[in-house]
Order: sequence, then structure tokens, then C-alpha cells
Amino acid sequence: MAILETLPNQIRGQLQQEPVFSAKTDLLHNGHFGEQWTVITEQEVAVWESGGALLRSLRLDQVTEARSVNGVGGGMLLADTGSGPVVIARYTAALSAMFGFAAKLLTAMAKGEERPAVSEKEFPRYCPSCDNPLSEGTQVCPVCKSSGKAIARMLKYAKPYKLQMAGAGILLVLTTLIELIPPYLTKIMIDDVLQPKNAGQSLLMVVIGLGVTALLLSVMQTVRGLIGVWVGSKLMGDLRKDIYSALMRLSLAFFDRRQTSQFIGRVNSDSEAMRQFMTDGVIWVSGETLRVIAIFVIMFGLDWKLTLFALLPMPFMVTVSMKLWPKIGRRWYQQWRAIFRLNVLVGDSLQGIRVVKAFGQEATEMSRYAEANREVVRNNIRIEGMWQGMFPLFAFIAGLGTLMIWYFGGQSVLKDELQLGTLMALIAYLTMLFGPLQWVSQMINWASNALSAADRVFEIMDTPSEVPEVREPAAIGTIRGEVEFQKVTYGYEKHHPVIKDVNLQVKAGEMIGLVGHSGAGKSTFINMICRFYDTDEGAILIDGVDLRRISQSDLRKQIGVVLQETFLFDGTIAENIAYSKPDATPEEIMRAAKIANAHDFIVRLPDGYDTRVGERGHRLSGGEKQRVSIARAIIHDPRILILDEATASVDTETERQIQEAITRLVKGRTTFAIAHRLSTLRNADRLVVLERGKIVEVGTHEELLSQKGAYHKLVEAQQELSKIKGVESA
Amino acid sequence: MKDPYELTILGTDDVIFSRGPGGVFQGVINGKPFDELVVHRAFPFLYTTKYISVRDMKGEELCIIRDIEELDRESLKEIGTELQFRYFLPRVDRIDSIKQKADLWIWELQTNLGATRMAMRNLHEHLQFPGGGRIILTDLNGRRCEIADWRELDSHSRNELTDVI
Repeated sequence: MAILETLPNQIRGQLQQEPVFSAKTDLLHNGHFGEQWTVITEQEVAVWESGGALLRSLRLDQVTEARSVNGVGGGMLLADTGSGPVVIARYTAALSAMFGFAAKLLTAMAKGEERPAVSEKEFPRYCPSCDNPLSEGTQVCPVCKSSGKAIARMLKYAKPYKLQMAGAGILLVLTTLIELIPPYLTKIMIDDVLQPKNAGQSLLMVVIGLGVTALLLSVMQTVRGLIGVWVGSKLMGDLRKDIYSALMRLSLAFFDRRQTSQFIGRVNSDSEAMRQFMTDGVIWVSGETLRVIAIFVIMFGLDWKLTLFALLPMPFMVTVSMKLWPKIGRRWYQQWRAIFRLNVLVGDSLQGIRVVKAFGQEATEMSRYAEANREVVRNNIRIEGMWQGMFPLFAFIAGLGTLMIWYFGGQSVLKDELQLGTLMALIAYLTMLFGPLQWVSQMINWASNALSAADRVFEIMDTPSEVPEVREPAAIGTIRGEVEFQKVTYGYEKHHPVIKDVNLQVKAGEMIGLVGHSGAGKSTFINMICRFYDTDEGAILIDGVDLRRISQSDLRKQIGVVLQETFLFDGTIAENIAYSKPDATPEEIMRAAKIANAHDFIVRLPDGYDTRVGERGHRLSGGEKQRVSIARAIIHDPRILILDEATASVDTETERQIQEAITRLVKGRTTFAIAHRLSTLRNADRLVVLERGKIVEVGTHEELLSQKGAYHKLVEAQQELSKIKGVESA
Repeated sequence: MKDPYELTILGTDDVIFSRGPGGVFQGVINGKPFDELVVHRAFPFLYTTKYISVRDMKGEELCIIRDIEELDRESLKEIGTELQFRYFLPRVDRIDSIKQKADLWIWELQTNLGATRMAMRNLHEHLQFPGGGRIILTDLNGRRCEIADWRELDSHSRNELTDVI
């Protein structure tokens, strides 16, 4: 039984039969927001209003098949009947999975087939208490969890350095206290030395006292500064490391949807913002709070009535700060997004600089940049301006307190009720309050910047990998290389499957050629074997073990890939060949290169195997890069080999060399190969023809040709094409 | 024979659209009846009522309608409704609030299709600015709403947007 949601009693009471399925839609039939219930029983499928009125129903024996038809942002559940298709329910994209399941269930029931089992993925996931969506793989609602969590999590990074931080803290307390001595000494100097004109020893003593405190202060500040720098750098390193490992852990699907160059800046700038808050921020807050308290204690001690004047502007300042706090946070985020867009733009146009130049679009790119740049400037002025305006305002308000002390304190001095030194000390202490004042606005700035950075960083860290690592992986050792697809369905966007219900058994050592039009699902097929993505339905087995039960590192050891886009890392050719086996000996590297037909051209290079390639290095041709990447696969010595259009876009001679290399490489390995030119797949043991994500034909080249089916058509089309090419080149 | 690489752009006389008894969009194209048709906007952001690709159940393109406004009243009404169903994009009339709660941005909205709430993990991946004052909001579940021109919203809504866009 597959009841998904509990029906309201008004509907449940009217049902003649047990419901097999019931679910709430979030759209009405006319496409407006609203709730209706779809209920499937053994006899019928019906739609009810929440209040209990039956809107329409359809007997199951009228239904031949059911489909979920997904549009953009929403979809509908459709039943095919003898008298044409019927819309059963409409829903937004949030419920696509559930109604996809309903369609499958209805079809199975209508056709009398085995009913599908419901999986957790099909439930719409909402927090039970606040109704906000939950992210996959978690039960913790982000809204309901405590809001202070980001700060707490951030501070956790400071934990390993608590000793150093405590040291810095103590020094801070001491410096704060020592800083309070000079004004007091000045008071003594004025009241006890200068005014009574009582020179002699005391003047020298007071001056020496001032000198010693100044010296102590500078020593302690230096030590504290050094500790701060040390802890800060370490912290920053830890943060960067964690963000980067979080990125590496994420599945390919995460990066498919995002422009990757954005992360370069994020790793650095976000961790810097967090570091600043933790080291400077935390130490400052504690230090300055302490200073404020100490100043007030001393001031109250000197003259409590006058001190009260200094306190008058405080409530105003606190209120303004609290009001501005969320606004500043949002503006920081806004500023971050503007810079983010700018970075994406730069990343984009620099990566595609060839295209930009080729089409002479430098001016367009510059104007696009100028616009994004204007946005950054505008936001910058907004946020900096806000903070620039805030400090003088605060200073002025606080200054009003000083004016009052001058006025009332001055009167007291004139009346001889107060000593001049005490008044001077009070004023000096009050000026010292300006430090913490500046801190209030600075701190708001830092904290909100750090919090929004922390949000983004933790978002990356909290994103669950879509291909999670199994807890107790099956030990597979060295595999034989059997691969089996069992009813595999997958779509990059769920519910738009690109691989549909694929079944295939491949023997160890067999070479499979994947054939089909572009977009038929060939690349997705091999991505599934690499487990770049997990199946939505069905399973892929290697030697009878489900891929999801094999640890990713074990799997990677068994699979080698030569991809369409060869990517060489920044480093030497030797390092690139030995990428998967860093301890490979020079002989192993050369042997692999020799098999890959790469040895000769590498040795001929002035720097041989030590030639730097990659982003900043020597430019290899497409065919050369291909062969280096074949050598990389050879040294990896995988049991399963994946070749994705390895000979695309190279000349005939290079293709021959690569073909040769590949022939040597595939020997004894289970191989899946995609090739544009069907002729390159003639060595394949079997060809698998894909069409719109489904396997339509399987067999050898000859078998498929004689069937005169989809493969035959593809071959014919290609022959046509080569004829045209022949004419062109003639 | 018709060139398969030629676009089939049909005018008002060659197409009739209606809705079947089961509520499904159907029509007659070039004299041939289809009991289920699917519509695609070729430019969903730029031209919402122009260049509409009409396809059969299998996704084969039957024709392109240059501008649906030129169709007869019945056809125009049905294709308009179908586009609204297929591109579920309620138009925001008012923004009640935009709040950041812990890790989520919660938007409370009034749209032409009723009140709704959208939750986003962040703003930089969930807001699109196709140009002019237009904003497309996408929530965590892939649901979308559209602000046709934020400058024309009421002052409360604009105020809510100030520090967000």
C-alpha cells in the first residue's frame, strides 16, 4: 500500500474503499494556488476539494495509461482513456516527484502490472513545524534550528587555538587596564603637583610612571598583535582547507549547475571575512567591553553625578545600532552579490577569450563589465557611506555628553566643588570612550559581513553530496569487470529522465560501443558507470555489487577514463601521466606513454617529460593531449575503461595513432566507448544503440546492419556525410 | 517534399485550438486533428506571447505561431491558458515580506494566482534579472514567480526589495 498523505476525515468518510494513494495538490484545476486531494482506490481515481466535495472521478477500467506531464515550474497528472486524455490534477514543481509516482502507480494498476514501491525521494519534504522546505538528506529544518548556530559554528574554528586566544585575551585585559592609568596620573600631576606648585620628587615620579606605562603598553600590544596574526593565519588556513574539501566532496551535479570560477573568490574572500571577525572581532569585543566597564567604574569613582551625563546618549546609540544591524547585513550581502556577478563575468569572458577575440566583441564585453562594475560601485558607496555616516553621528551624540560635563563640571570647578584635575581626567576618560564607540559600528560591520560569509560557506559545507559515500563499503578487491544495468533511470533534472529504464549486461573484458544521436544519453550512460551521478531508479552492478555500496576510492581505482575534453593539470607531462599513481617510476611512465603512442612526441619536446603543461605551460595539440590522457589511463591500469569520443576533432593520422593506442589499451578490460565516427567502433564486441535515453538495439556491427533498424540509419547518414565531405575535398 | 530544416510558421487560418472534454489542450493543424498538443515558448523571457512552438505528444514540432494575438478568440483563449499552465509563473502583485530566517530567505507574496510563500537558500542563485525591471524568483523546489517590473510595485513592496536587489 502506498498512501502518501493522510486524508482529511471529510473525504476519508465518503470513500467506499481503502485508498491506495492519496496526495494533496497545491494548485486548483484552473491553475490558481489552492488545495485539492487526489485519491486512488482499487476502482477509481478521484479529485476532492479539501472540504469534502467530490470534483471529478474516473473509473480505473477507463484508464489505459497515466502520465505526469511536466512544464516549467509545474505540471499535471494526465490519464489516457479510450475517449482521449483527461487532466486529473495540476501541481507546482514542488510536487512533481510525488505525482510522477502517482502516474506510475496508476499505469501499473490500469495495466495490471506490478505496482511500484514508493521511495523517500518522492515525498515532498517540509518541516513539520514551520512548513518550509527541507533539503535532501536532512531532517533538520534550517529555519527552526537556533539562529545563533552560525556564530557558534564559526567560533568552533577558534577552539584549537584557545590557549593562544586566552593569552591574547589576558594581555588585552592588562593593556586595557594600563591604558587607564595615564589619565589618572595626569590628574595627580595637575591636582597634587602643578597646582600646589609642589615640584621636587613627585613630578619626576609621575613622569617616570607615565613613561613606564607607555613602554609596558607598547610591549604588550606587540605581543598581542603577534599572537593575533599567528592565530588569524592558522584559522584562515583551516577555514580555507575545509571549504576546499567541502567543494571536492560535492558531486558533479552540484558543479553542473554553477559556474565554477565563482568558487575561487569565495574560498578566499569568505574565509577572510570570517577570520577577521573571529580574531580581530572577538578580541576587540571582549577588550572594548571591558574597557567601557572599567572607564565607567573609574568615572563613577571620580564623580558619579557628572558621569551620568555621559550615559545619557547611550540608549539612543543602542537603539540605532539594533535598528541598523539587519540592514547592514543585507547590504553586505548585496555588495557581495555585486562583486560575485562581476567575478563571474570576468571568469566567463577570460575563459572564452578566444571567442571574444574571434568575434571582435571586446567592446561588448567591456560594456557588460562596466555595467556590473557600476553596480559594485553603487553598492560600495551605499554600504561604506552608511558606515561613514554612522560613526560621526555617534561621535557627535557622544560629544553632547562631553559638552554637558564641560559645562556642569566647569561650573563645579569655578565654585571650587571639584578639582580641575578630576575634571580633566573625566574628560580624558570620556574621550577614551570614543574607541569603543567606533568599535560599535565597526563591529556591526565585521559581524554582519562575517555572518553572511559564514552563511555561504556553511551552505557549501552543508550541501549533501548527491552521491553519498556508503558507511560500510563492500570490499571488492580487484574486480573482474562485469557491469550490469538494472532498470536504470536518471535525469539531471529529476523527472526529465535522459536515461530511461536501461537494462544491459556486460561481460568482463567485453568492449561495448555506444551509438546514438547527440543527446541520446551516451555521455550520461558512462557518467553513471563512473558514479558521477546516482541512478534515480534501478541499480548498476559491478561484479554483482551495487555501485552505491562500493567506496568511491575503490571504484575510481577500477575505472579509467579518457574524456572528450582532455584536461591536463598544471604540472609536467610526467606528473600528468602519473596523476592516478604518483609513485610511478620513470620507466612506468615512459612505458605507458609508449603504449599510448605519446612517447615519441614527448621525447622530441625540448623539455621532454618535464615539459610543463596545463594552464601556464606548454601548449600541446588536441591529439597530443589525447595521447597523454590515454597514457594517464594506461598507468592507472583500470579494469573498466571509458572512452568518450577519444578521437573527435583530430586529423586522420593522429586518429590512427590514437586508435592504435586505444586498441592496445582496451585489451583485457571491460570497455565502454563512445565515438562519433562509427567506423572507430568496429572493434567493439557489441554495439548499443541509444535513442532518447532508451536502448533500441544491441548487437554486433554486422547483426545491426542486417536488421536495417536505427543503427543502419545512423551508418547510412554517416556515409552520406562522408560523401559530401569527399565532394568538398575533391 | 518539405525541407526538414525549414521552420513551419503557420498563420491564423491554418490552426484552431480548443480544449478537450478531459481538459487537455488540443487542436487542428493544417487540417489534421490532434487530441493532445504541447506548447513551448521559444523565448520565455522576451516574448511570452510570440514564437510559440506547438508540438505533438512525442515532442515533434508541428508549427510555430508567430503571435498568438492574431489567432481567433477561442484559440487565443485556449493557447493562452495552456501557456499559463505549462509555464507556471504567477505574477507578483505585492510583496508582503522578505525575511531571512537562519539559512533561508522567506518571501511572502501575493500573486495573480493567489497568495504564496517561497523559500530560497540564497539570493544569488535564486533571482534572475532578465532585463528592465523584471525579476524571476525561483524557490528551493523549482517553483517560480515573476515580478514584471519591480519599479511599478507599491511602495511597501519596493521598500521590502530595497536591500535585496
